[in-house]
Amino acid sequence: MNKDSNIYTLIYASVMVILVALILAYTSETLRPQQAKNEAIDKMRQILTSINVESTNANAEELYDKLIVDTYLINSQGNKVDGNAFAVELTEELRKPIEERNYPVLVADIEGSLKYVLSLRGAGLWGPLWGFISLDDDKKTIYGASFGHAGETPGLGAEIEKPFFAQAFIGKRIFNQEGTFTSVAIVKPGRTVQGKDYVDGISGGTITGQGVDAMLFSGLEAYKPFLTKE
Amino acid sequence: MSPKNKLILFNPLSKENPVTVQMLGICSALAVTSKLEPAIVMGISVIAVVALSNVVISLLRNTIPGRIRIIVQLVVVAALVTVVNEVLKAFAYDVSKQLSVFIGLIITNCIVMGRLEAFALGNKPLPAFLDGVGNGLGYALILIVVGFFRELLGSGTLFGFQVIPDKLYEIGYENNGLMILPPMALIVVACIIWIQRSKDKELQEKN
Amino acid sequence: MQEYLSTFIGSIFVENMIFAYFLGMCSYLAVSKNVKTAMGLGIAVAFVLTVTLPVNYLLENHVLKAGALSWLGDQFDSVNLSFLSFIIFIAVIASVVQIIEMILEKFMPALYNSLGIFLPLIAVNCAIMGGSLFMQQKDFANVGIATTYALGSGIGWLLAIIGIAAIREKLQYSDIPKPLKGLGMAFILTALMGFGFMSFSGIKI
Repeated sequence: MNKDSNIYTLIYASVMVILVALILAYTSETLRPQQAKNEAIDKMRQILTSINVESTNANAEELYDKLIVDTYLINSQGNKVDGNAFAVELTEELRKPIEERNYPVLVADIEGSLKYVLSLRGAGLWGPLWGFISLDDDKKTIYGASFGHAGETPGLGAEIEKPFFAQAFIGKRIFNQEGTFTSVAIVKPGRTVQGKDYVDGISGGTITGQGVDAMLFSGLEAYKPFLTKE
Repeated sequence: MSPKNKLILFNPLSKENPVTVQMLGICSALAVTSKLEPAIVMGISVIAVVALSNVVISLLRNTIPGRIRIIVQLVVVAALVTVVNEVLKAFAYDVSKQLSVFIGLIITNCIVMGRLEAFALGNKPLPAFLDGVGNGLGYALILIVVGFFRELLGSGTLFGFQVIPDKLYEIGYENNGLMILPPMALIVVACIIWIQRSKDKELQEKN
Repeated sequence: MQEYLSTFIGSIFVENMIFAYFLGMCSYLAVSKNVKTAMGLGIAVAFVLTVTLPVNYLLENHVLKAGALSWLGDQFDSVNLSFLSFIIFIAVIASVVQIIEMILEKFMPALYNSLGIFLPLIAVNCAIMGGSLFMQQKDFANVGIATTYALGSGIGWLLAIIGIAAIREKLQYSDIPKPLKGLGMAFILTALMGFGFMSFSGIKI
């Protein structure tokens, strides 16, 4: 058989493509449930971190089911709407016009008092940032936080993932004395800012810090109608 | 194992190291070495891909039509890398998150294509397999050495556990933040090359 | 407009393919011994990157992504072909390179002769595959931004290879420790240039 004939080449290519596609489709189908589970557990652990609960891959699901007592979506007026708050992709929502966006709210029960977990998205130096902020039952004071990033500089911007950064947010207030929304500012270590609560940024990770600052402001502002509602 | 096969397996660890001597596969070598763990996972992934694709191409070597040779190789490699990627996502999710796009970049890792072209196309499956494992190991070795030094000096940890004792920090030792930055990977590799080539004068370049 | 400009500048300087991610290092080290050939390879890489990335962007968003096939009808909403993305990306890149090779050979033989040897190399250049993978990760808003990103990354790669080639030409007159000659020195130079480029990372437009 002539290896260089057109027909041979064509048949060879088609058989190969079909075979490869079948193998890949099979692998991906077999492994998909496991992958989806990993992603869900990862998200649960971030949410648990934001309510100051430590978890492992093994017990995350159990803790999540125990502590998160209610989940719902809110629209841009702060009214509850139906939907799956855990599965909602905030990135997708933020592409829609403001009136059509839905934001997830997860309600956690920590020893009898309710905490509200809000979801945030933003951009850092190299790529997307995300985070979960939990508020006390007054809906004004931060109870806990967790942050994640896709690819900030290791050792600098990437430090926002570390517990020490997230824990600095505990107890900060996102509304000032007069009740106006101020968010929490990220400042260069050693600096201060007037009129609102602030947290030290990471030295050397200024742009990432600005990204977190902007993410907090715009992200929490979106929840403002919900937070100020009685 | 015959002496010839032994040579095929072990030469790439030193004299024919793909990274420091053959100048292959440097791209993805560096971005994943700021910590030891991703470096090891990356090394294992590359060993798997090089060895398996070498075997597949060696088995097919007498049937591949000349005109689409490169495409056939790329498809085989891409398929294997996709499988590795899916497996990592399912069983080593945390590491796969850290490696992100660099798993995909194994496809264009020159080691893979280089070994397919230079070895698998002209040899039987067993030597091709050994050649793949050898070259993968050579690559992994460099990655692990670089990852070891960068994590140790940069963060004072190995596999995420602190190894530099607190006492040392008390008397003024500090982690070298520079080591974590990407360009330091190149400097560390350059040092490895320096050491290797001062020992083995044959490898030195003339101009 | 501002988004385009910041993507463009960002991809050339801040996220330079060579100095920030070290992508395409193999051909970068092998073909940077003199400026003229380096320029040829650089232009070829920039060109292929700018052609393939938008194509892959469209494929990713209209065929491969989860739910991307919904334009075919509601029943395709749940189809997720993302496991095919590596194969499709590399196939697009390899075929574009092949087509460019054929077109150049037929219509611009002079350019073909000067670029010819690099073209097959480009299909396996990490910078090009890397461009497509970063596109997938960054999730650009539209095809225009993706193209701008591709062009910027290509120009960044071109700048990097010309820069190192120019330095390496001069290097022949310097007294380098023997074991570091060639590859070793090229690594150190790239690292130093990388540190230089890190100073761009504060730029925001």
